[in-house]
Amino acid sequence: MKYVDEFRDAELAGKLGVQIAALAEPGRHYKIMEVCGGHTHTIYKHGIEAHLPESIELVHGPGCPVCVIPMGRVDDGIAIAKRPNVIFTCFGDMMRVPGGKGTLLDAKAEGADVRFVYSPLDALKIARDNPQNEVVFYAIGFETTAPSTALTLMRAKNERVTNFSVMCNHVTIVPPLMALLESPDLRLDAFIGPGHVSTVVGCRPYDFIPKHYGQPVVVSGFEPLDLLQSVYMIMLQLDEGRSEVENQYGRVVSWDGNQKALEILGEVFRLRPHFEWRGLGFISQSALELSDAYADWDAELRYEVPGVRVADPKACQCGEVLKGVIKPWECKVFGTACTPETPIGTCMVSSEGACAAYYNFGRFAKSAARAGA
Amino acid sequence: MGYGAVCSVVEGCLVCGDAAVEVTVVEPGEQDAVCEDRNGGRGLVGVDLVGPVVAGDHLLVHGGVAISRFEAAQ
Repeated sequence: MKYVDEFRDAELAGKLGVQIAALAEPGRHYKIMEVCGGHTHTIYKHGIEAHLPESIELVHGPGCPVCVIPMGRVDDGIAIAKRPNVIFTCFGDMMRVPGGKGTLLDAKAEGADVRFVYSPLDALKIARDNPQNEVVFYAIGFETTAPSTALTLMRAKNERVTNFSVMCNHVTIVPPLMALLESPDLRLDAFIGPGHVSTVVGCRPYDFIPKHYGQPVVVSGFEPLDLLQSVYMIMLQLDEGRSEVENQYGRVVSWDGNQKALEILGEVFRLRPHFEWRGLGFISQSALELSDAYADWDAELRYEVPGVRVADPKACQCGEVLKGVIKPWECKVFGTACTPETPIGTCMVSSEGACAAYYNFGRFAKSAARAGA
Repeated sequence: MGYGAVCSVVEGCLVCGDAAVEVTVVEPGEQDAVCEDRNGGRGLVGVDLVGPVVAGDHLLVHGGVAISRFEAAQ
């Protein structure tokens, strides 16, 4: 299959692993953060770590959209969903993210009309088909997802669909990277850059990482060989004493990104002064809200929401997992009180969350390795 | 025909995180095109952000909207 089979060749993976190992300096420990939850998923699903020497540690970053949604924002969504006459729409995994007062799935069980969609354009279609209802789309995600929300809002405005609105929780990728780089409890050697975010924003936004922090960034695709090649490119930079932004995912990522997408993002959204990230706290200018031109479609202006900050459960260590400070299995409730069926933390909800990815795939590889040893 | 049809078969795309799907254009359109995913599933895709498309174009789709073209970025 084009663009798939050629990136899953086990023989090539083995050869890349040997080349990567040859670049590892004896006695040195390397910490490389994969920013994106999609990468985390691939790493565990395809056993990427088995091809790497023990001296290379992959650290999971904050790039899973549902994982970074704070509990208070979930409660705000539930408050809107429970209003009479509202059809509340969101992506599937968002329905299971715990807030302080349950999940959207709980609200649905209690009678709220909550529906999952694969696209905000489907939410707009629901609005067109149900003019007697108010249809709200709960928007989450990074710059990968924000263009689909922006395009939907532009169509809603052009078609004058007034019974549609968006509760915007879109976040941006650069501010949390800066927060991580400034974090005193995390030392990293390099970043595997987010591939699909970069189809939209391009590679330039990461320039500050090598320039100010001296660390390589390689924007990577999502197939196993993509990731191994990206690790190889990082190791080559470190071996040669270089720190640059490089693009491994050239088949879809251009250096300047998608200009049309960036234009509509600029028209529909503006930066919020600050936004709370689960585990990372409040980060300035790290999220989007609707611009004045789209205020009539802003669910937070249309409906009253509690807007109350809710602390994470004490047992949950999603914050440390999201910052790469601990591994999923080091959390006190991992795999016991917290499982994909009964998640306590957001990282266990989405298949892109580090905890869920490890629970579903990684723990078996670890068990096999232990048995082998 | 819904917009998410081509996303629905991909593990991890329920959340519409950083996952995206490669599709081929089957029936071009100005705003929306009918596209086919690697498993033969068909659905509508918003193509406003990648310019005019023709049958056979390979697109990267996320959340029912094409965000890039394969190999055009090189």
